[in-house]
Formats: sequence, C-alpha cells, structure tokens
Amino acid sequence: MRDTTSSCARSEAIETLSGAQLTAWQTDRLREVAIYAYREVPFYRQLWDRAGVEPGLLGSIEDFARFPTISKDDLVQAGNCWTNPHQGSVAFSTRGTSGAPLLVWLSAEEEEAYIRPTMRGFRWAGFQPGMTALLMSPVWHRLAACEAHAIARLGGRCAFFWGSMGTEYTDSFLHTLASERPEFITTTAPFLLSLVRRSPGDATRPHKLFKGVRSVVVVGLPLTPRMREFLRDRLQVEDVFERGGTQEGAATDECRWHTAPHVHEDVCYLEVVDDAGIHVAPGFRGRLIVTKLTTAGSIFVRYDTGDVAAFAPGECPCGCGFRRLKIYGRPESSVLVGDRLITAYDVRMCIEEDPALVGRNVLLVREANTRAGVLTVAVEGDAHDPAKLQARLREQLGVATADIVWLGDLRVNWGFRQVLDGREVRLPGS
Amino acid sequence: MPTENAYLLFDLPGGRLAFGEGDLDIWAEHLTWCYRMMGIPDGATIAVQDFGSSPISFLGSSLLMPGLQRGVAERIGGRFICLDASAERVTLTPALLSQLTVDALVIREDVIELLSAELRKREFAALARRTMKTIVVFGDEPPAFNAARPDSWRHLMHVESTLLLAPQCVKCDCFHLRQGVYEVDGRIVRNLRLAAPAYDLPRGELFPPSHCAAGIGDWCIGWSPRGRGI
Repeated sequence: MRDTTSSCARSEAIETLSGAQLTAWQTDRLREVAIYAYREVPFYRQLWDRAGVEPGLLGSIEDFARFPTISKDDLVQAGNCWTNPHQGSVAFSTRGTSGAPLLVWLSAEEEEAYIRPTMRGFRWAGFQPGMTALLMSPVWHRLAACEAHAIARLGGRCAFFWGSMGTEYTDSFLHTLASERPEFITTTAPFLLSLVRRSPGDATRPHKLFKGVRSVVVVGLPLTPRMREFLRDRLQVEDVFERGGTQEGAATDECRWHTAPHVHEDVCYLEVVDDAGIHVAPGFRGRLIVTKLTTAGSIFVRYDTGDVAAFAPGECPCGCGFRRLKIYGRPESSVLVGDRLITAYDVRMCIEEDPALVGRNVLLVREANTRAGVLTVAVEGDAHDPAKLQARLREQLGVATADIVWLGDLRVNWGFRQVLDGREVRLPGS
Repeated sequence: MPTENAYLLFDLPGGRLAFGEGDLDIWAEHLTWCYRMMGIPDGATIAVQDFGSSPISFLGSSLLMPGLQRGVAERIGGRFICLDASAERVTLTPALLSQLTVDALVIREDVIELLSAELRKREFAALARRTMKTIVVFGDEPPAFNAARPDSWRHLMHVESTLLLAPQCVKCDCFHLRQGVYEVDGRIVRNLRLAAPAYDLPRGELFPPSHCAAGIGDWCIGWSPRGRGI
C-alpha cells in the first residue's frame, strides 16, 4: 500500500501558509502549468502567441491576469488541438446546460492531486475513521470519483445506493440509508430537497432514517443559511456542509464555521473578474475564472465558467488561510431581467424570508417578457401569501414585476436545473 | 493508483453486495473477458451509459473505485467515458459522441429508447450511422426483438445481485457462462469466484459445454427466436 502520510502532511502545511507565501507558491505552479500547456497543447500555444504572452516570463499573479480567458465554446471548437498528451484515460461530461457538453479527461496523477483536498473537506465536515459514508455515484462527476478513494484512505466504509440523482431514485436512496445506517452522506441539494418534500402521504419519515447521520455534504446548489437550517431540522442531522466544484477543476469545501466554502488552493487558482476582466474585491460579485494547478488531465488555464461568484472578505475563524468563495449561480441558473442578472440563489434568499416557504424548490422561468423587466418564479407547493412575496421580490431584486407560479402537486424532476424555459412546459395557471 | 483498503457496499435491485480486498479485480477481469468476447479490441474507447452503482460503470477504471487495481480501461489499454444513465444525462450523449470516436457504446436497455429518440434528431442522424459497436445491457428479461435495431448490436446479460455477467457471443449468438467463473446445476447458476447468491435462470435454453468453439468449456444460454419476440 502506497504511503499517503507525506502527501497529507504537505496538504496540511499549505493551509497555514501566509497570504504572500501562498501567492508565491501558486505563482510557481501557474508558471509550470502555463509552460507545460504552451509546450504540449496546441490550443494554448496558438492562443497565447496571438495574445503576445509568454509563459516563461510569468512571475506574478498580475502577469497571469494578462493571459486571455477562454470559454467552453473555445474548447469545443478547438477539438483535438486542446488535447493534452497526458490527459488520462477516463472522461466525464459537463452538464451541457449552457450549450454543448464538454468531455473532460481525468488521469491517475490528477486524481491523486484531487483526492487530498477531498480528504481535507471530508475531515472539515466531521468524517472520522470507521464511519460509513453513503456516497454519490462515482461516474456522476470527476470530483465524485475522488470521494470513495478519499473515504477509503480516511479509514471509512463506502456505501452506494442504486440509481442516479433524479427524484425517481429517492426510494432507492432511503432503502440504502435504512439498511447501511451511514454516519456521513454526500449528495446533491436538489435530491435532498426532493427527498424531504416527498408527498405527505408517504409512510416513510426521512428524519427517522437519517438517525445516526452526523454530516451531510451537498453539491449542486449554493446553500442559503435558511436552507441549511431547514435541512438540519428536517433531517435531524448534526450539520450540513456545502461542497463545490466544477468539472473544469474548481474545488471548494466548507469548514464547520460555514462562513463560505474554502477554495482548495493547492489544486486550483480561482479568480473573480468583472465584465472588463478586472479582478473584483472580496465581497463583490463577478465571473468565476478557473485554472487547474496540475499538468495532468484536461488542461484549463483561465477558463471563464460564466458562474456568478464572490470571495468572502476577511478571515475565517477556523484559521485556514485558504480564501473563501461563494458560487451564487451558473449561467443556466440565472435569468436576465431587464438589465439585472438574477440568480436562483437571490430569489431563494428572498422567498425564504417567509419561514413557511423555506425548503421549497424554486425555478426561475425564462420567458420573452424578462426583457421587459418581468421576473417569473415557479415555487413548489401551494400558494402562501403571494402578494407579500411579489412585493418582496420586486423590492429586493429591483425588478419591475414579479409573477409567481405555484406548482401545487406538480411533480418535477428537479435535477440541477434552476431555470426553465417558459416554452418547455405548461405551468399551472399559465 | 495506490492500493487502498476499501470496504464497499452496493445496494442493488434484489440484493446487496459487499466487496473486500481483491474482489473488484476478479470482477473487472471477468468484465474485460466479456468485452473481448463481444469483439472489443485492446486500446478501444468504451463509453458506458449506466448508473455509477453498476459494476459495468464502476469497474471501468481504477480511477473510479478504491481497491480496484486495474479496471477495464487499464486491462485493455483503452479509454473509458462515464455517461450516467439518468434521463438528464442520456440527452447529452449524442453531443458527446459527436466530439470523439468511440469504439463501443455500452448502454442499459431501459434507456435505449430515450437515446434512440435523441439520436433521431436531425443533427445527430449521421452519428447514428457511425460504425460503433453498441452493447445493450439487460437483466434476466431477454431483449425483445426489434427489427429497427442493427444486427451488429450485441447484448450483455447482467444480473447485478447474483454477479452474473454473460456476453452474447459473436460466433453462436448465445450468452456464454464462462468456464471457471460459473457452474451450472440444473437451471441454477453459481459464481465460483465471488460470494453471491445463486441465480435461477427463469427462461431460455441452457446448452452444456462443447456448444460453441469460442468457449468450448462454457455453458451457454440461448433464447429461441420466439422467446426473443421474433
């Protein structure tokens, strides 16, 4: 068995570097990755030659910010020119909810790099040796593939339920939960919400099955503070943690202080920029740019995810020096209303001010009249104080009109979608 | 990948399986044999549209599961594409297959119609005609005959809870129960290498060894044309 002690020690040491030390360390990694990408990947060589930037001269974060950003379309168009000779033998798909899906490759070397932060995140979330973890499907996402490896190295047992993350598999999930009695769970937030909000007629009471669960780690939806409380209360688990990540290499995990997920700075360098491409200060929102700090797998250098994100200002009480980043929404989980970009997270924050509406799934509806400043929101369940909610949405989100569609008993397979095209379905009352 | 002391539990339709040290490699070796039996060459790129909790998926590579030293990709020196079998992901498959050439698409039978519908869309019509081996994975219900499906499609019988994996032979069209992996007693099939409940074959015809030159010591399961709905 390979000794993983030294690599764990390294990852622990990096958490305590000062800001300047961490920046210097990351700058070295960025230069290594850029030099490698220039040498081995024609797409980057051509792009950077055109832009007049030289990887060998990269000596600071400011130098790196002069490298051009790239988009998913650029990579899909690049085809084989984007191939890394050492990209590995296993591929995962991006979700394709914002255009064509992209195949992202994973190698053993890259996975090894990402298992370390996965173990770190799970430790932060309270995982202890000997525990049983009920995990997501390893083929769902490249970060999910790291999870079982991390649990095995932390001395735990891995359990898997049959099926996938759609609402049709909640029974299967509950069956495994009842039979294996895990102390630790990783899943998606939409799946968990669907499970909590199963039909009231169902005999199974989820919180009874969650008895003994210490921690639930969720991905796929930025948690609002009230949503976290709702899940903790309904499931009667000790704590709920948000884990974030993209197929393109971003990796974040919350510590027990829940101030915002920490960026695993040893595997990715994340930036938040404004529309002009300038870094924005912590506390302000911008677009998330991802660079992986490894030369293995598919290479992402200054990849513009289109995600709306912000670094958290100040320091976390936990003492970890890693920056904290909240990803508020993806392009596919936001709508442009008039000239304002509204994320599903913003709408949920607003809706959840009414305790009766906390925990309901919410969908934004993209319709032709969004240009005229009309925000349309579909809310799971029966109507509750609609006039007040409409007023709150108008006032807090700065939209001219807010329409609410109450979905009643309509069963929706929530998946990861938070925005619905108005032409896709006939909503109740429409 | 380093060796990991993994203890793995899988909740499956009709049962539950636990794997300890070394078990997964035994199972991955057999799945690789199945692929070779169905004509998948070394170095192939295999795309699998199945749930992550299915061995067809998680045995694809050592990157996917701790305790697995060499998955299918490592054994054939090939590549493995993870395509989850949820409806949401199936709709993405045509666009992904248009980005690279795969040698084999392995897909659960219960999502084949959804994928076919996606492939019939105008922009993917050419993709549907591409020379790609399609392997349809089914449980203990034999696949119904469908004249619209190309003859080149192969089938893989997979009963998860009993660890039964039987590939359709390119030579005899029957499903081979590999010698040394399974023993047959009446209609009861037992896995000799891994601990699993015995399987009582509900339908189909059992042929004793010497039935097919492709596996002279194998028992074979065959379905009559009527049994296949022809």
